[in-house]
Amino acid sequence: MPDGTDLNPIDARHLLRRTGFGATQSQVDDVAAMTRGAAVTNLLSFKPSGFKPGGKEHRDAHNKWVKYMLKTKSPLQEKLVLFWHDHFSTGISKVRDAKLMGSQNLLLRLNCKGNFRIFLKAINKDPAMIEYLDTVRNGKEIPNENYAREVQELFTLGVKDGSGHNNYMQDDIVQIARAFTGWGYDKGKATFNSNDHDFKHEFDGDPNPDRGPKVIYQTTGGFVGGADYAAGGEGEQEIDAIVDIILEHKDTEGKNTVARRIARRLCEYFAHPDPDQSFVDAVVTSSSFGSNWDIAGLLHQIFVHDAFYDTAIPGGTKRSVKWPIDYVVSSLRLLNVKPKGRDFFVDGFDYSNLFDQLTNMGQTLLDPPSVFGWDWETSWISSSTLLARYSFARSIIQARGGGGSSLRTDKLFDLGMTNPGAIVDAVSGLLGVKDYVSGAERTILINYLTDTNTVTPDLTEYDYRNRKLHGLIALVMQSPAYQLH
Amino acid sequence: MAITRRQFLKRSGLATAGMTLGPGLFANPFVRRALADTIGDRYFVVIFLDGGNDGLNTVPIYNNGSGTLRDDYNLARIAGPGGLRLTPDDLDGTTFGNGGTLLSTLNPLDPSLGKDPNTGAKLALHPGFRGFPDTQFPALPQAPGKDGFFHPDLIGKVAVIQGCGYPQYSLSHDEARNVWKTGDPAALYGGPGYGGSGWIGRHLADLSSGYLASDIPGICIQDSIAGELKQTKTSILALQRLDRFGFPYDSDNSDDDTAKRTAFLDLHGQASASAQATIKYLGDGGSVTLKSSESYPAAGVDYDIDRGTTFGQEYDDLGRSLGRDLREVAKIIWGVSHNIINPDNSARFFQVSNGGYDTHSDQGAADPNGQHFSLHAEVSAAINIFYRDLKDMGLENKVCVLVWSEFSRRIHQNDNGTDHGSQGPMFVIGGAVNGGVYGVHPNIADSAQDGEGNTIYQSTPDIYGFKSTDFRDVYGTVLKHWLNMPSGIIVPNVLQTDSGSAPDYWTTPNFDMGFI
Repeated sequence: MPDGTDLNPIDARHLLRRTGFGATQSQVDDVAAMTRGAAVTNLLSFKPSGFKPGGKEHRDAHNKWVKYMLKTKSPLQEKLVLFWHDHFSTGISKVRDAKLMGSQNLLLRLNCKGNFRIFLKAINKDPAMIEYLDTVRNGKEIPNENYAREVQELFTLGVKDGSGHNNYMQDDIVQIARAFTGWGYDKGKATFNSNDHDFKHEFDGDPNPDRGPKVIYQTTGGFVGGADYAAGGEGEQEIDAIVDIILEHKDTEGKNTVARRIARRLCEYFAHPDPDQSFVDAVVTSSSFGSNWDIAGLLHQIFVHDAFYDTAIPGGTKRSVKWPIDYVVSSLRLLNVKPKGRDFFVDGFDYSNLFDQLTNMGQTLLDPPSVFGWDWETSWISSSTLLARYSFARSIIQARGGGGSSLRTDKLFDLGMTNPGAIVDAVSGLLGVKDYVSGAERTILINYLTDTNTVTPDLTEYDYRNRKLHGLIALVMQSPAYQLH
Repeated sequence: MAITRRQFLKRSGLATAGMTLGPGLFANPFVRRALADTIGDRYFVVIFLDGGNDGLNTVPIYNNGSGTLRDDYNLARIAGPGGLRLTPDDLDGTTFGNGGTLLSTLNPLDPSLGKDPNTGAKLALHPGFRGFPDTQFPALPQAPGKDGFFHPDLIGKVAVIQGCGYPQYSLSHDEARNVWKTGDPAALYGGPGYGGSGWIGRHLADLSSGYLASDIPGICIQDSIAGELKQTKTSILALQRLDRFGFPYDSDNSDDDTAKRTAFLDLHGQASASAQATIKYLGDGGSVTLKSSESYPAAGVDYDIDRGTTFGQEYDDLGRSLGRDLREVAKIIWGVSHNIINPDNSARFFQVSNGGYDTHSDQGAADPNGQHFSLHAEVSAAINIFYRDLKDMGLENKVCVLVWSEFSRRIHQNDNGTDHGSQGPMFVIGGAVNGGVYGVHPNIADSAQDGEGNTIYQSTPDIYGFKSTDFRDVYGTVLKHWLNMPSGIIVPNVLQTDSGSAPDYWTTPNFDMGFI
């Protein structure tokens, strides 16, 4: 049984890296002594916190969230909030209200490992989402299709199933749009106005076929003759009924479409890109996610599965690119550098704040580029975003003020080390990539440390430490290995 | 129905290709190689209108001609609050008192070029294509990019291609973008696809274009590599601003820069040799980034010295992202053409994008403060400045701009916006382009719409003469006539075409837009 499989140091570091923001050696040692099942049960035992990134401005809410990530004892919770923020993508540049975005962030946190059915019903009625995907502008005379399309394409079914068959048709979008008519929000709460809702009898005699029975999935989903979302009555219960129908949708292989897709997304996020269908189906089956919709149970099965640990193998083929927020938060946590001030900057070269640095890396929290969220993996990487990562590394190693927000290498490392190889190992070890640095790469880093014919580095010498030890940290942070996790 | 159009503008400039460049440029083997093969000393810029641009209000119909296009339009787009109807007064200058945006005024020598070739209906552009009104820039003598596409310098240089799309269209942003970027609609329906490579990317990767892994023929002015340019054979750069494109060395220890550079390149060289694709990608990307960061910023500095207070300032005054992005393109073209940028990194393909076109709500009609007006004003003003900047460099005949969006929008509006639709217009702009109307306007009559309220893709003309334009025919035209790619390679290696009974437009002489 995978639950009873013992962890080892490499797998333990991998589990902690994926479910958090880097890990210290003592954390790795503790987890390495456990079984997968025991370690995962521990990780998933957090009680969802009531933290809400408040503030009037986007930057305030952004910085509060990042600060929370830097301090949290339950980093997996934040990893999950980030996943759902990407999945239920909502952006402040359209919502234009930081408080609504903060409330949505709390909703994501409270439901991050809960019941997917309840979660989705709550998202349908989330004011930020109602604003973002135009539910508030969905009138009964001419319904607006925006939300009805994306709730299927992105939040649940996907356009096509694994065999390339459409999961829904345009008519299903039109019919679902009718269900969402009448919804809006007021003072941060969802509202339903039945006068604005599309009731069938109001359109009696209307020749428009879109005004007929409220039936969806007449040709897909395995519903014989379609599913009537007004069977339990018309009105505000319709949008909950639609969720219940969507969660019964079967793909052309007869498997639950949403369970497979959500599981695949979580496998891609936590394990590696392009997971085998057998991995996805195994975790759906062993967790019964397609009937209980328990996200924590699904996550447990992913984290104990053998395929999850494929990524951990040094030299293996399953590698995954760190998200920018992961790159930033794990670096700051591992190097114990604390950004400061309301603008939340690292006290380094250009004093540029984390908001701008993350934006340059391609990830502005609370404002994803579109309803599709962010593109993952190598899409994070371009010359532009690489330079932003390199610049962030530079601003950390130039944080030399000596105060609380500085990089204190004297506190992170044993300054008595004189062997160049040992110094390289200490730096790559602290940053969590020692197992992924090849012998040739280690030699390159040793040559860098000793290029001025310094056979025996003296880290106690301030100038040398500042130049070379700081330079070594920057090089490791800029290296290909450190962009991965 | 065949396109009938008289050629009236002599092609200009291209016959003398190679004579306008500084002597230093030809010393580099890469430039010689490229010049001998395909794009030569030209440049190609792709602009993506992200979100699905409403074609019906981008190229609005002024009158019926011999059909019912304007009547059909009036049924679909309503007047009054929330209405999206553009009135004839909005289009012919009556409302704005500025000469209007009828397409005939873009081609004063031959006003027939402003009509739909099928119905003879007079066509216009949205009033926003004259740029922003001066009143939105009270501190300036006039709006930056004033008159947009209707500036005298652009007369006869703007081609509008109507009804572009593909059969069995997708209404998903993601799927539709993918179709347009890969140039491969068949991949939607189980076709083989091209491994995710883009249509320009495959051109770059083909042996006939001659690019090596260390060359950087393409640059995206954004933080990610655009799908159109994706491939695995040569390098593509993504950068946002040249003045922030320097490598971040430790400024307190500059005596250590050389050692850091060596170690950085050695580490990335190791990764480039990796069998693992993601690690190799990071290795190649890091090396190319460091090396190009050593040559590209200088082009921006030199550009600013020469033109920072003229055109550079005008992009700034416009204050819109597309203008700022095109300024970066202009800087790089300046740098390449003045031999400032390392010729090994000689970039000739550019991609920029402009968001905000997903106008499900609050789209606006002719109100200068409306969303759609503002988007068109931004595009036309930015391209206006860019074109005049290039003209001032003597390069306007060397640059071709192609504008596309992933789909058009629903014929009938919703309360105050439009939902996703099917075929829409494309633009091709440049000094070597014969401006005018290409392709025919789709049939938007209620009786001609599909069950979803969109225009139907017509591979062959319907009984009224409406025929759609395969968007790949526009790509093929550019590949064949602007990038000089041999036709025999285009079809099997780079671009499948519909191969229907009707001949592909890109192989017909009257669809060449004057490139040859």
